[in-house]
Amino acid sequence: MSKFSGLATGKRVDGYVSRRAQVLKAVMKLQARLFFADPQWVIPNIIAPFIFTLVAFFLFGGQATSSSFLLYLVLGAGLMGMWGTTIYGSGFSISFDRFNGTLESTLAAPIPLSWIVIGRIVFNTLQGLLNAVLILVIGLTWFQVGFGLVNPPLFFLAAVCTFISLAAFGLVLSAVVVLSRKGGFITNAMEIPVYVATGTMFPISILPWLALPFAYFLAPTWGIEAIRLSAIQGYVGIGTGYWTDLGVLALETAGYLGIAFLLYKKVEAYAKRNGTLEEY
Amino acid sequence: MKNTERLGFPERFLTALRVFKGAFFFGRKGLIIWDSWEMWVMQIAITPIAQIGFFAFLSIYLKYPVSVTQYIVIGNALQSMSFSAVFAVANITSQDKWQGTLPSTMVTPANRVALFIGRAWFQVLLSALIATAGLVYAGALFGVSFASANFVGIAVVIFLTSAAMISFGLLISAVGLYMRTALIVANVFLFVTLFLSGVNFPVSSLPGWLQPFSWTIPLTYGTTALRMAIAGSSLTALLPTLGWEALDGVLVMIVGYALFSGFETLSRRTGRFEEY
Repeated sequence: MSKFSGLATGKRVDGYVSRRAQVLKAVMKLQARLFFADPQWVIPNIIAPFIFTLVAFFLFGGQATSSSFLLYLVLGAGLMGMWGTTIYGSGFSISFDRFNGTLESTLAAPIPLSWIVIGRIVFNTLQGLLNAVLILVIGLTWFQVGFGLVNPPLFFLAAVCTFISLAAFGLVLSAVVVLSRKGGFITNAMEIPVYVATGTMFPISILPWLALPFAYFLAPTWGIEAIRLSAIQGYVGIGTGYWTDLGVLALETAGYLGIAFLLYKKVEAYAKRNGTLEEY
Repeated sequence: MKNTERLGFPERFLTALRVFKGAFFFGRKGLIIWDSWEMWVMQIAITPIAQIGFFAFLSIYLKYPVSVTQYIVIGNALQSMSFSAVFAVANITSQDKWQGTLPSTMVTPANRVALFIGRAWFQVLLSALIATAGLVYAGALFGVSFASANFVGIAVVIFLTSAAMISFGLLISAVGLYMRTALIVANVFLFVTLFLSGVNFPVSSLPGWLQPFSWTIPLTYGTTALRMAIAGSSLTALLPTLGWEALDGVLVMIVGYALFSGFETLSRRTGRFEEY
């Protein structure tokens, strides 16, 4: 199809980039409407990171005297919050279509499925950003965490890059489970292992050596390192430095995106050929 | 179908037992999405180690003594069963709503208690398996010693805690009859037990006003009893704690049944069985 009708506005949209931008806008708009129609669904995504953080604060107890120590925790908790919603968005993006019977219409849209899923995941990850802010506010008010950032612009850059990497990782996961009716549940099971492997609440150096390759493979590991380096005075972490962390993060994110698009192309073609996507 | 109104108590009891048996086996078959080897592996092998690992590494990072880390490991090994005992059971009514089978289920004249407890009971076995896997990890990876453990006591604690926790799952499931889904409440309860049930730190560390809530959750008694059994306490020594746990489980079940009946009536009146 050389010409394409805009999904949300009805205007004709030409060009590779503008067509996809139009789709992303329409999907995110729909996601936002679904969210505001039934906002209770944000609770399952917030509750796990929130309770994990609360338990961590209790465990820290008397040790939680230094503000940099608390900031370390709060930043990790923020990442957990973002990850919780990303994983929910990626795992259930197709599952909910199955539940609601809208999968066929979604598949029939003249745009690759991957772009529709990207829109959904980006919205959910943005929602996760709200979780992160909520946890930060709780940290600042309830636990009296000082929030003096070492370098605010670098902190902002690292946060944005981490946000993109989480969305990209979510896209890979969604591509892996898209054919399965168990998709949402499988990705949900990834929630806590990723908290552990990315060092959200403790340095990855204390993990067993067997777990380290997984930790290094996960882009959010580098993201949280860069965030902490730009936020906490005297933070050392892995020791690779801010720009190296950001470089590895960018490389891995690009890798995730490449893998995700390739997988989606193959999976979508396979599902259409075999008629298995609707399987419930 | 026989009209059970005219049957005497023994016959009604036998009918309820048959319903329970059928519901028990359906409890597994009905888990269409979950009933596959990869989902069992995920639940039994991955869930407990991920959760135990998170809190154990946090304790190691904080340089707590090994005994504290092991306290946390044991607590989380038992709590990880909640994914099955609470979460899966709580979602029975919600899942029926999604699949469009709730109205048909609710119009059957079958005994409600036998039907829903039967469906939930399958999760007792799964929960016990998850907790056992958690304890295997505790011994193999975190050095928890079972040298002087009372294994019969451990088995009793695991089984009783699984059974008592499904009563909480059923209570939340009742909410799902009336609300669009029980998933939200189930999620909150599932994770709140990590904080309230003496899983990661003693209940006495909590603020005073929160402690009574802790003792309404069967898991709180379960974690206490499990640590005692691993330390070698006899069944007699465990009996008071297990007794309180069993009583708590029964009371929660009674409250759950009352709630279920109430929400059933309300849902019939307002036609909310279909809403999801």
